[in-house]
Amino acid sequence: MKALIKRISSDPLGLLGLCLVTLMVVSALGASIFAPYDPIQLNIMDRLQGPSANHLLGTDQLGRDLFSRVLFGGQVALKVAFLTIGSALIIGVVLGMIAGYGPTWLDNSIMLLFDTIRSVPTIMLALAAVAMVGPSITTVIFVIAVSSIPNYGRVVRTQTLTIKSKDFVKAEMLMGASLLRILSIHVLPNILGPLLILASMDIPTVIALEAGLSFLGMGVKPPTPSWGSILNDGFALIRNTPWPIIAGSIPLVLATLGFTFLGESLRDLLDPKLRKLL
Amino acid sequence: MKIKTAIIALFIVTLGLSSSLALAAGDVLKVRAYSDLKSLDPAYSGGVFDEEIQGLIYSKLIQYKPGREWGYSLDAAESIQQTTPTTIDFKLKEGIMFTNGFGEMTAEDVKYSFERIVDSEVKSTNSPDWGPLKEVVVNSKYEGTIVFNEPYPPAWNIALPYIVGNIISKKAWESVDGKVGTTTPSVSGPYLIKEWQPKQKTIFVSNPDWHGGEAPFNELQIIPIDDESTAQLAFEAGDIDYTRVPVSSVSNLKASPPANSIIEEYPSLYYVWVGMNVENELLSNQNLRKAIQHAIDVPSIMQASYFGAAVPSTGIIAPGLVGHRDESLVAPEANVARAKEYLAAAGLSGDVRVTLDILNKAANVTTAQVIQANLAQVGITLEINLHESGAFWSLGDHTAGDRYKDIQLILNRYSMAPDPSYATGWFVTSQKGVWNWERFSDAAFDTLEVAAKSEVDNTKRDQMYQRMQDIMENSGAYRFITHEATPVIYSNSVNPGFRPDGLPLFRYFSSN
Repeated sequence: MKALIKRISSDPLGLLGLCLVTLMVVSALGASIFAPYDPIQLNIMDRLQGPSANHLLGTDQLGRDLFSRVLFGGQVALKVAFLTIGSALIIGVVLGMIAGYGPTWLDNSIMLLFDTIRSVPTIMLALAAVAMVGPSITTVIFVIAVSSIPNYGRVVRTQTLTIKSKDFVKAEMLMGASLLRILSIHVLPNILGPLLILASMDIPTVIALEAGLSFLGMGVKPPTPSWGSILNDGFALIRNTPWPIIAGSIPLVLATLGFTFLGESLRDLLDPKLRKLL
Repeated sequence: MKIKTAIIALFIVTLGLSSSLALAAGDVLKVRAYSDLKSLDPAYSGGVFDEEIQGLIYSKLIQYKPGREWGYSLDAAESIQQTTPTTIDFKLKEGIMFTNGFGEMTAEDVKYSFERIVDSEVKSTNSPDWGPLKEVVVNSKYEGTIVFNEPYPPAWNIALPYIVGNIISKKAWESVDGKVGTTTPSVSGPYLIKEWQPKQKTIFVSNPDWHGGEAPFNELQIIPIDDESTAQLAFEAGDIDYTRVPVSSVSNLKASPPANSIIEEYPSLYYVWVGMNVENELLSNQNLRKAIQHAIDVPSIMQASYFGAAVPSTGIIAPGLVGHRDESLVAPEANVARAKEYLAAAGLSGDVRVTLDILNKAANVTTAQVIQANLAQVGITLEINLHESGAFWSLGDHTAGDRYKDIQLILNRYSMAPDPSYATGWFVTSQKGVWNWERFSDAAFDTLEVAAKSEVDNTKRDQMYQRMQDIMENSGAYRFITHEATPVIYSNSVNPGFRPDGLPLFRYFSSN
């Protein structure tokens, strides 16, 4: 891990990405320590204030400290990102390996399922889910996870098909190794690198999706702070004050840049083909 | 750098000129409506946005009088009076001409126009506005009598001067087999429709044959702009001469008003309230409902959601209307001690959890969060459920599944016409599962609702409607929030005409 960090640090953009991601993770995890105010505490007399020493990013229409809400909003973003990508990754890996290693009819069925899921836009899926069960963070995680599974599943399937035809795998099969052993000992370690790159590149997309759904009122429920709901508050008040919009936008921009730079740096380090080209 | 400065200067000058010269270019008035034209047939008028157009092209016996107090002025009628509790006699002015050669307006046209609305074969969506209309008896070419099956005082407030009061030409309508959509065969008002550009604008020109003389503007354009903030931008850019603006903009606009503009605030007739489902297992406890009533701090909502531009309401009937209460039974300010007493009396131990369903709009979300904080103070945990428009408006509908049973608290907002019967009619027992989402039912209320609608003595009527709101509030099922506000902005080159609730009466707009 130290070597990996050292190699990322040698790339300026990778270093910047690592710093931004670290900043985001630390500030989100330590929100209850760093936040100067309770993010849901109303103080209507202090509403719509500009930035000051008391309120670094100002206050919203209910007098809540925007800096504190941004910090706690980071928790929601991280929670959604890691739970979504984590669950999509696990399900995608399992289905992808089954498709790649299984019989043709099973492969075709799983691919059909993936294509079906991908044919439904995420926002449309979210609208349908919210209409049925109502908006909540669970709904957001479910919707994004379901629509992300095919991304991982397809990569895993392709990698599995490639590795399956390698001589060392054939040799293992001839020696009577079990399917579970072949998949877990030989296939899985060989596909982890590309998956890690894909996952890190997906994190900003998921964060932006969560913010988008919360902006539309389909994400977390009030008064839980989310970057998207802060943006939504700001949108309604844009003629009065720009600060809620700014407060909601800054972390989104930084998180997107951070994870993208870090992901690109990881790809350069872990993707052998690309490394050879460079 | 110089080029950039010159471009900016040119932009500013252009913007300023377009703003100040909006009316100078050919005496054209450009105004905003919140929706586009749907129908030019009064029987199928979609509401305010259609009436804003129909009010320009058709005549009525009487029109709403612009100003701060409700009243009417004569239009097509030379005289009109309530002769008995169930009859209204009218006499038309002579020489009111319909366009396109459809002749002079007669009492037959009035009869056709009004009776058509209540004809079951026409299936007019606006037939309830005429209430118990029986017929219009034609006494002579210009005279007639409007006859009701029972007394119907709302006729003066929501029928004669509003949508169903528009008089159309019988001959013209029959010439098109009664099928009128977005074009009309004949009109008699101050303006004619020159062109309708869907989703763009409706262009009117003055009607040279209008009985009222010369229309104030040679040309009038109604431009549909759904979003109020967008409309405000259009006004500031000089593209329109009038619009309603968001309440959140009022303080800023007052502090630094756009050049050559006037801002006015009118009280709205809309009513906003928190309703409680009395048939829900938890909310069937009246003491819990009363605890919630007393815990909600309405002045905080006024500040947070309405930026101080609206005031707390005392019920569902706005100031200026018969039946308005000067004070509510529960004060607008929260009374935490009282709320806790009710909560204790409710006998609920532990954490009390309730849900609040709201339509996903910025003001509603803010209001809900204030309520959430208010209820937390007395130990009630509130979960806010946001809904999109389609899902929200079917929540209380008992024909749309069983979701109505799950409603606990609901933040609601209904529109209103200037008669108290228009507000109370939604809360009778027969409306349970239709518009009465609280599933409130009270025999005395139902009796009063029927009686008040036909009460001709205004003093008695006033008391009856006040009593009905007392019953609603005493049930604990309602916490009245506000009637909102209607802030408007217009160019100082315009002399506008507004109803007391701030809705525009474009036929009265003139140039200064």
